Amino acid sequence: MQSEIIRVMLADDDEDDRLFFREAFEEIKIKTSVTTLNNGIELMDYLNKPNIVLPHILFLDLNMPGKTGLDCLREIKANDTFKDIAIAIYSTSSSDEDIEETFVQGANIYIKKPHDFVMLKSTLSEVITLNWQYHTNGLNRDNFLLSI
Amino acid sequence: MNFKSLLNKSNLIKSIFVGSLFVLIFISTITYKNSVSITESTQLLIHTQKVRVELEQLNSSLKNVEINQTSYFISRDSIFLKDFNDSRLKVSESINLLQSLTHDNLKQQNNLDSLVKLIRLRYNILLENAINLDDSIQVNAKRFNKSLLEGKEIMKIIRNHINKMIDLEGVYLQEQQQHYEKETYFTPLYSLVMLMFSLIVFIISYYKINKDLEALKQANLILKISTETMNHAEDIGAFSSWQWDLENNNLVYSENHHKLLGIPTQEYNAKTNQFLDFVHPDDRHIIISGQNRVIEHNQSTVAFFRVIRQDGNLRYFKSTGKFLTASSGNRILIGINMDVTEEYLVSKSLEDRNSELEKSNKELASFNHVASHDLQEPLRKIQTFISRIFEKEATNLSSHGKDYLERIQVSAKRMRILIDDLLLFSRTNKVEKVYERTDLNILLDMAVLELTEQIEDAKAQIHRTILPTLVVIPFQIQQLFINLISNSIKYSRKDISPIISFACKKINSSDYNELIKEKNAQYYKLSISDNGLGFKDEYKDAIFTLFYRLHNNSDYPGTGIGLAICKKIIENHKGFITAESTFGEGSTFHIFLPINLNKR
Repeated sequence: MQSEIIRVMLADDDEDDRLFFREAFEEIKIKTSVTTLNNGIELMDYLNKPNIVLPHILFLDLNMPGKTGLDCLREIKANDTFKDIAIAIYSTSSSDEDIEETFVQGANIYIKKPHDFVMLKSTLSEVITLNWQYHTNGLNRDNFLLSI
Repeated sequence: MNFKSLLNKSNLIKSIFVGSLFVLIFISTITYKNSVSITESTQLLIHTQKVRVELEQLNSSLKNVEINQTSYFISRDSIFLKDFNDSRLKVSESINLLQSLTHDNLKQQNNLDSLVKLIRLRYNILLENAINLDDSIQVNAKRFNKSLLEGKEIMKIIRNHINKMIDLEGVYLQEQQQHYEKETYFTPLYSLVMLMFSLIVFIISYYKINKDLEALKQANLILKISTETMNHAEDIGAFSSWQWDLENNNLVYSENHHKLLGIPTQEYNAKTNQFLDFVHPDDRHIIISGQNRVIEHNQSTVAFFRVIRQDGNLRYFKSTGKFLTASSGNRILIGINMDVTEEYLVSKSLEDRNSELEKSNKELASFNHVASHDLQEPLRKIQTFISRIFEKEATNLSSHGKDYLERIQVSAKRMRILIDDLLLFSRTNKVEKVYERTDLNILLDMAVLELTEQIEDAKAQIHRTILPTLVVIPFQIQQLFINLISNSIKYSRKDISPIISFACKKINSSDYNELIKEKNAQYYKLSISDNGLGFKDEYKDAIFTLFYRLHNNSDYPGTGIGLAICKKIIENHKGFITAESTFGEGSTFHIFLPINLNKR
């Protein structure tokens, strides 16, 4: 994974969060290409375009207008084309219902948005350096929510 | 007393009656037979007597014949001749009479025939002499003597013959007597036995009938009382009963029916359709379809409908029915009409309040969402921006600016803690309560594990005891332990390392004033005491209030939610939490948890 640029994508309707996200990756010393999209509808439109390069990891905000993160998650998991994308839920909420539902729908990890920039950076770098193969095989309800 | 046994008793009485009747007929028959045989014997006795008398008469008449003849011979007086002829006439009369008396007895007839022959023989001898009688010739004395002797002999034979006949009659009489005696020997005994028997039967029947009558009276009394009770119950319970005979379409209502409709009894003519007039026009179809269902499908259902009373009041009624087969074989539907207005209104207001509660619950849930997401989001951004400024722009800030920014950061942090605690508090109430039988020792282990860092930093000692296994919501009890231990550590005295002690015992609710009214009889009392700051006695209740704080935030940072959560958790377990303290020396929290949790 280190030899190749990691393609990271974020769908979040909050401009500030997109800014933090981008700035965090700029400061992380890992080669990444970051794409941000403004909401769920934009995300799905983009993914469904022909001949695009799919991201390795997709960060998905839950609370978005039009298409929520959960809607997007369902659509992505229903389409075989996207089966290799690792999906990280990226939300302010840490309610049990949201965690349970996204886990059942097949998300790979759940990140509660940190309220500190340093923490944000360490969280994101942890996520993109995860051994996904290993993580996904041993995934359960307890390690689904990422704790740093 | 049930009706079946009464019915059996009446069968018993019937059989006793029939039995007695037969006994009476039997006795009558025997008595009749006896009297018939007595009459027969008496007649036979008279008959025998007659025969004897007549035979004696015959004998004496014969003698008279002879005597008169002899007297005539001697005196030649015609008066003896006349007597002679009279006597002869009497003899033949006696013979005639005897012939008619013995006409049904062959033996006596034969005897009589031979007697008649003998008499004729005697007459012949007499008549032989009589020839000479008229001739007035000298009687040959020798011959006369001879005929006298012959006559004497024949008279002797006749005498014997008559005696024989009399004896025979005597034998007959004796036979009859024996027969009669034989026949009537057991009769008095029979009669007596039968009489005794029927007397006993009558006494038993009398006793039985009397007893049944008493039972019937008693049953009547009970019936009367239960009828009264029913009437009373109907009056108090605001319901009436009815019986609908489906065979002849006869509908009978109890008295209270009229009261329920608000009309005087005499004004109401109990017909099916008149009741319908009182039913709310929109609900009449319910009654009609219910009746049709009863008639066509033999199904009875519970009906709810409205009734407009005579005074115009709207009431809510409930009607139920049940099929019954009467002893006449008629199918009867019995049921009650109930005025359920009060219940209806209560349940309606309950329903309204329920839906209101549901609404406010939903609002609370959306408030939770607001708190967890919408409030946190801007706060998170504020905090992130602050951290950005510290990281990137710290060199450009004056020392004042840095100070202000730090204060903003502290406030933001405090707000976060408040939001988190508030969420925790509302979740304590809201989340699904899953009760499990859990070892409290394990929950305490986990609580201690979670607080490891805090405990080590404060050099706190925890003196544990063995805790019971109870049906609880595990994570809440764990939270309770965490809150209480961290409270004790937080409010410890300076320079004195905290010592937290656990104690546990089983108690009866009757021994504690605060528990005395509770349903659960037995509790575990968990006491958690520390050697910390303590508090004044007047605050022992206030400290459990939401947001209530005893200390300045700068001295002891906190939100005033921790103990409120503890209280809520204990309430979820139908338990109690109390606190006591000696100010400056330490405090003790008592937790009462029911041994058998009644979740309700």
